[in-house]
Amino acid sequence: MIELKNVSKSFGDTTILRDISLKIPAKQTTAIIGPSGTGKSVTLKHIVGLLRPDEGQVMCFGTDMATASEAELYAVRRRFGMLFQDGALFDSFTVGENVSFPLVHHAPSMSEGERRARVEEKLALVGLPGIYDRPTSGLSGGQRKRVGLARAIVMEPEVILFDEPNSGLDPITSDAIDALIQEMKEALGITFIIISHDIVGTVNVADHIAMLYGGNLVAFEPTDRFVRLDNDIVRKFLRRNLVLPQGPDEVARLPGLE
Amino acid sequence: MLNALAAMGRFGAFSGAIARRMMRRPLFFGQVIEQTWHTTTRCLLPVVAVTFPFGMVMALQGLEIFRIFGAERMLASLISIATLRELSPVLASVLVAAQGGSSCAASLGAMRIKEELDATEVMAIDSIKFHVVPRVIAMTVACPLLNVAGSVAGVAGGYFTAVFIKGESGGIFMAELWSFMEPVDLYGGFVKTTLFGLMIGLISCYHGYRARGGAAGVGKAVNDTVVHSVVAFITLNYFLTSFLFGAVAP
Amino acid sequence: MMSLFAGLGRYGLWCKEFFRAVWVHGPPKGQTLHEAFRIGIQSLPILLIISAFVGTNLALQGYNAFKPLGGQRLVGMFVSLAGVRELAPIIAAAMIAAKAGTEMASQIGVMKIREQVDALEVMAVNPLAYLVAPRLIGILLMLPALTLIAIFVMLTAAYGVSVVQLGLAGHEFIQFASESIEPIDFLYGAVKAVFFGLIICTVSCYFGFHCGKGPEGVGAATNKAVVTSSVICILLNYFISELLYGGSL
Repeated sequence: MIELKNVSKSFGDTTILRDISLKIPAKQTTAIIGPSGTGKSVTLKHIVGLLRPDEGQVMCFGTDMATASEAELYAVRRRFGMLFQDGALFDSFTVGENVSFPLVHHAPSMSEGERRARVEEKLALVGLPGIYDRPTSGLSGGQRKRVGLARAIVMEPEVILFDEPNSGLDPITSDAIDALIQEMKEALGITFIIISHDIVGTVNVADHIAMLYGGNLVAFEPTDRFVRLDNDIVRKFLRRNLVLPQGPDEVARLPGLE
Repeated sequence: MLNALAAMGRFGAFSGAIARRMMRRPLFFGQVIEQTWHTTTRCLLPVVAVTFPFGMVMALQGLEIFRIFGAERMLASLISIATLRELSPVLASVLVAAQGGSSCAASLGAMRIKEELDATEVMAIDSIKFHVVPRVIAMTVACPLLNVAGSVAGVAGGYFTAVFIKGESGGIFMAELWSFMEPVDLYGGFVKTTLFGLMIGLISCYHGYRARGGAAGVGKAVNDTVVHSVVAFITLNYFLTSFLFGAVAP
Repeated sequence: MMSLFAGLGRYGLWCKEFFRAVWVHGPPKGQTLHEAFRIGIQSLPILLIISAFVGTNLALQGYNAFKPLGGQRLVGMFVSLAGVRELAPIIAAAMIAAKAGTEMASQIGVMKIREQVDALEVMAVNPLAYLVAPRLIGILLMLPALTLIAIFVMLTAAYGVSVVQLGLAGHEFIQFASESIEPIDFLYGAVKAVFFGLIICTVSCYFGFHCGKGPEGVGAATNKAVVTSSVICILLNYFISELLYGGSL
């Protein structure tokens, strides 16, 4: 259903993704992890077509996102929901207006009442009932993520992408978000793709884990095999011993990649 | 309305704070030089890029009219006086506000948002003295300099259109340039732009220094700077023109 | 120099993409008139002040220029020719660039850095059609109107100064002024306004979309928006004037 085939991407002189081939299992939760700057967000952006690879194909529901026209891209994206790092909510809208935005644009046949009912249902699902008319500006970080998630699921997509759902949150809220993702997984049973650098939460919720390091796909296994993998880099990362690079240039000079 | 008065009061207080610091040593000369150079070089191209075409348009429209009366000779003096007295000071100042003022507001605003100004204070360095005063001085000095460039460019634009496009005589143009010029034409622009530069400096630093509300606050600071500066000096321009060029009913 | 051409090229490509997007998707319904009014109402006070003081100075300087020739009564003619043909459109354009243009650049810039533009894309809503089209329509509706207002205010202020400060005869001012302006001048002013509006909106939004990171990015985008659109408008003004007025009398 979603598959990257030999994807490579460079920005200027820096190669971020090197010949990545990855098949995302349907209706399961896949986590993509790795140190900062190794191309996790870049991979996610390729899947939704916000970036196009220099080489390779990105197949989603039979469409190659790398060469798709705008109409094809949009058709595929209507089957996705995405939670951005800070929620990416529109500040001038209320919570309800934010969450109903996809409905307004892609389900024009729904009446105002039907839309509101759907939005309130999703808000309740993410643990925020009754804030439909709240303005967006006063929300806390955790609340923004929940509202962002409600917006991502309001069209009842087949795939949800999470861009570092735990970033910028204190430990307690971070655990709460992990619990929420777990609940959603059980309630919805659809494909989740989670980008994360939080190991503990990832291991708990993911069915499969892919690890990117230095632009390469170092490992891609079901979770129980991943945590027992006899791979130096994986073990170091799991034990939090890996020296974290500062950015793409350092990534290019990482040890252990020959 | 009350808000506007309160804001002007705050602005006055801020300007007073700047003035006080300009009197006391040490004056961060390195910063002053750097900011002045920075502002002048960055604004030079925009100023010339607007005054030259305006000179061209003046020649275009002027010739259309003067040719009816057979008074083409008068074009050169019209262009030189109009440029020196009004067009160059105003246009140059608008561009200084748009380029210099807004980048000053933007950089101070970003520093405020990223708490760099607070960091300066914590290091026991007066942030106004280090960051603001040099920028205000830079704009006060740069504006008249740029006005000179703008005046030259404006007249050059007029010459270019009149001589190369409309076929007027270059020699007559150059000779007639000075016909009606008086000393006040030369120093009037200087006085105007020095004052305008000072206003732009104070206003842009005021908005940048007091920016709030994240990245959007920086955008707002730039927006307010350009708008308030232009309104302020266009208003002042009226009074200066009345005063300098002495047009009072005989 | 090369980077200037490269930048113009990128801008051109962006504009082409924008027009395509608007052609395919159309602007969002219901927002456009609201946007137009907002732009107009917000710019109005500053426009009034600036047009007034430009008018006053036109009168003062015109008087000074013509007095030695004994032609001070021609002030009305001078003000109306310079004001209507050239200054009013430029003033209105400059004000819109300063107020609405910077606002567009900064609003879109903030959205870009907070991934809201990406969010629109992922939700299959074209950001160019959704964000830029209403603003463009708003400007195109408002700028010609604001230009006409600028003309009126400028002439009125010049009249005021001529009569009160300079002691000229009011009816002569009006007579010379109305003889020098033709109805077509107002049309030409509106034409200029349309072109200027196009430039200001597309340039400002372009810089918003290509905003660098963080608050500095937004500040820089806003800065570039107002300077670039002003310079392009003034350059364009010469060519438009040449086309409309050059050799037409």
